[in-house]
Amino acid sequence: MTDDSPWTKGMGDDGDEGPKDLGATFVENTLYGPDLNVLDGEFIGDRGRVFGLALKTGLLTVLTLGFYRFWMKTRLRRWYWSGVRVGGAPAEYTGDPLEKLLGFLIAVAFLAFYIGIVNLLLMFVSFSLFEGNFAAYALSFAGVVPLWFYARYRARRYVLARTRWRGIRFGLEPGAWGYAWRALVHWAVTILTGGLLWPRMTFWLEKYRTDRTWYGDVRLEQEGKWTMLYTATKHVFLAAVVAGIAALLLWADNIWGISVALVAVIWGGFGLAYYKVKTWELLTNAKRAGGIVFHARPKPLRVFWIYVLGYGLSSFVVTIFLVPIGFMLLALMGGVEALASGGAANLTSLSSWALTAVSIGSYFAIFLAWGAVAHAFVTMPLWRHYSETLTVIDPQALHLVQQRGRDSFEEAEGFAEALDVGAAI
Amino acid sequence: MSSIIPRVVRSGTLPPDADAVLFDGRTAHAKSVQLWVNQNAGVLEIRGEGIDQNWPIADIRLIPDQAGQKGLVLGCEAAPLARLLSANRNLMNQFPALHKRRANISRWRLLRWAAGAVASVALIILVLVPLMANQLAGMIPAKGEHALGQATLEQIRTALDETGIAPLPFCENEEGLAALAKMEARLSPQKDPLTVRVLDHDMVNAFALPGGHIVFFRGLIEAADTPEEVAAVFAHEMGHVVSRDPTRHALRSAGSIGVLGLLFGDFAGGALVLFLTEQLIEARHSQQAETDADAFAYDVLSQAGVPPSALGDMFDTFRTQFGDADGVQAHFLSHPKLSARIADARAATPDGFEAQPILTDVEWHALQNICD
Repeated sequence: MTDDSPWTKGMGDDGDEGPKDLGATFVENTLYGPDLNVLDGEFIGDRGRVFGLALKTGLLTVLTLGFYRFWMKTRLRRWYWSGVRVGGAPAEYTGDPLEKLLGFLIAVAFLAFYIGIVNLLLMFVSFSLFEGNFAAYALSFAGVVPLWFYARYRARRYVLARTRWRGIRFGLEPGAWGYAWRALVHWAVTILTGGLLWPRMTFWLEKYRTDRTWYGDVRLEQEGKWTMLYTATKHVFLAAVVAGIAALLLWADNIWGISVALVAVIWGGFGLAYYKVKTWELLTNAKRAGGIVFHARPKPLRVFWIYVLGYGLSSFVVTIFLVPIGFMLLALMGGVEALASGGAANLTSLSSWALTAVSIGSYFAIFLAWGAVAHAFVTMPLWRHYSETLTVIDPQALHLVQQRGRDSFEEAEGFAEALDVGAAI
Repeated sequence: MSSIIPRVVRSGTLPPDADAVLFDGRTAHAKSVQLWVNQNAGVLEIRGEGIDQNWPIADIRLIPDQAGQKGLVLGCEAAPLARLLSANRNLMNQFPALHKRRANISRWRLLRWAAGAVASVALIILVLVPLMANQLAGMIPAKGEHALGQATLEQIRTALDETGIAPLPFCENEEGLAALAKMEARLSPQKDPLTVRVLDHDMVNAFALPGGHIVFFRGLIEAADTPEEVAAVFAHEMGHVVSRDPTRHALRSAGSIGVLGLLFGDFAGGALVLFLTEQLIEARHSQQAETDADAFAYDVLSQAGVPPSALGDMFDTFRTQFGDADGVQAHFLSHPKLSARIADARAATPDGFEAQPILTDVEWHALQNICD
């Protein structure tokens, strides 16, 4: 970041030294040319804070039987958004928890009918006609898939409408059904071609979303071609080749088969991370907002490492939680067994209640620990990496961007919430 | 913006209290400004090139949950789109209402929709789903119903397995099965065929599943003092089969689980709350079903020459092992209080009832060792 940002100065001892004009931060940079405003991305905020915030809001969510989740989501988003700074200016999330609650209530009022009656009828029809529940699950799934894409687009629209940077709102045009049917067709094509046309789907769906995204009065555009994403698939294909070799070796009963298969699995994991990171880079660098362009350079290996380390650590912490709880459970069960085998077969209600309490407590503790550690060691490092490796190149056009009207969007994320459309946060 | 914000003409030429950057919410332009806190006039004066604004001090808010702990991001109620960024954190002490929140959503609107959502869920779970389940349970073809029971049984066997390898095994000792078949023939001479199984598990329990499945746990057979007690439980479960309670239950759950899942979302351990709530709702339906199944059992037992009080004896065994359910716990148990059921069973046995043993001693011994 540049030295003229208000925040670098704020971090010094002489906190009183104020900022200079952010918009006029010129950086002599031969890479981008002299008349360009170079706005570097960064991420402020440390693990400890997001860990504490996730733990605190998670606990409140559990204690309120889930109803605090609207506040939890809002507060975490505010934190993450405010941590992203491009050219020194933080983004802001302006969503309201009560608005989320309202949207959720609206969705429940309508969806409860659909889900209750349709599930019951499906179960009945499935057992009456097919003598099994597979048909019910398949039909239920088929009915939910288009809704799922629909809800995802709507959720994105809500989040963008509540995101501001430099005081200016983002926005996404309506178009959720258009997105849903396109996504269905692309998925069908991708599956039918055995994954060979995956980059085509990635590109066209991203283009659909990007071309409907606005920053103030400036529309974003996705440029480039879908074929440019093929370079991102190289590690997936290499992993597939290794997997093929492993299959041959295993078929020939060669002792190296298992080792090669293990290599293929790890390589495959890296390949997927590589695809995700590389497509993000290629797509971002082919986006423009009027004259404003982007330069992203995330490192796939770093992202892969964050996933491995972060989830490894989360699992480790959960295991640590499990050990004392496991001992306690064993001790309690041992006590019960002793009572039972002692002939006085009397399972006292005290110990059975204690057992229940410990089980429920451990159940929630594990969820909370996992969530908080994943925020501190996966989500936050990922955000930091993507922010730090992003540069916005502004040919003196940014300061002309005008505000856009508020998208009231009453339903908020109601349907997405109800259908459990897993957004990152 | 200047039309919204009261202007105060400033006299004097003190040095500014802080430097800041203003985003006015109209364009993305970042404007360098200087700030003066004018406590006498109750305003924060914001001055810069072409900028002359005053924010009422009482309206100044800190933007919450900021990741950055150095520097300030301020907003103003009167100009909700504008943001002021300053590195000077000491400014905070000057503004009294930094953390005051404003509700953007009308409470009445929220309450109306909350009532609507609750009414919708209640209507569906308590009225519509049970009504449809009752109707449809009578319409499902026998083969489909049997398959439904089979699927549920497999789920239960997998859930109860502790080894993690194979589903919980059935007990299939031949003499034991023969004794069980004899008991079935005595109790239901010409009824629809039943599928009766014993699961190798300590639990003192038995249950009926859709399509005429009746399942005993080894624990129940071992805990029983006489074959009549097992027969009494058998007759009770037959009552469920005849009234198609399990089918109704399965259809009800299919409808209500999804709706409850919708309500609680996927927060940590939502599944657990889901389970408890489902139990609570189910208990309401079940208590009546249990009472009916008991009444059915009394008739079947009397006709088979087994005293209905045997059911009471079995419950007595339950009670000595687990105690009676009362208080909060009773709500989570789908069965009525045991003491009441014991009294009912004993009352259903007429004086001078002529009992005929249901199994010989040899057969009873075989049944008790059905899992060997």
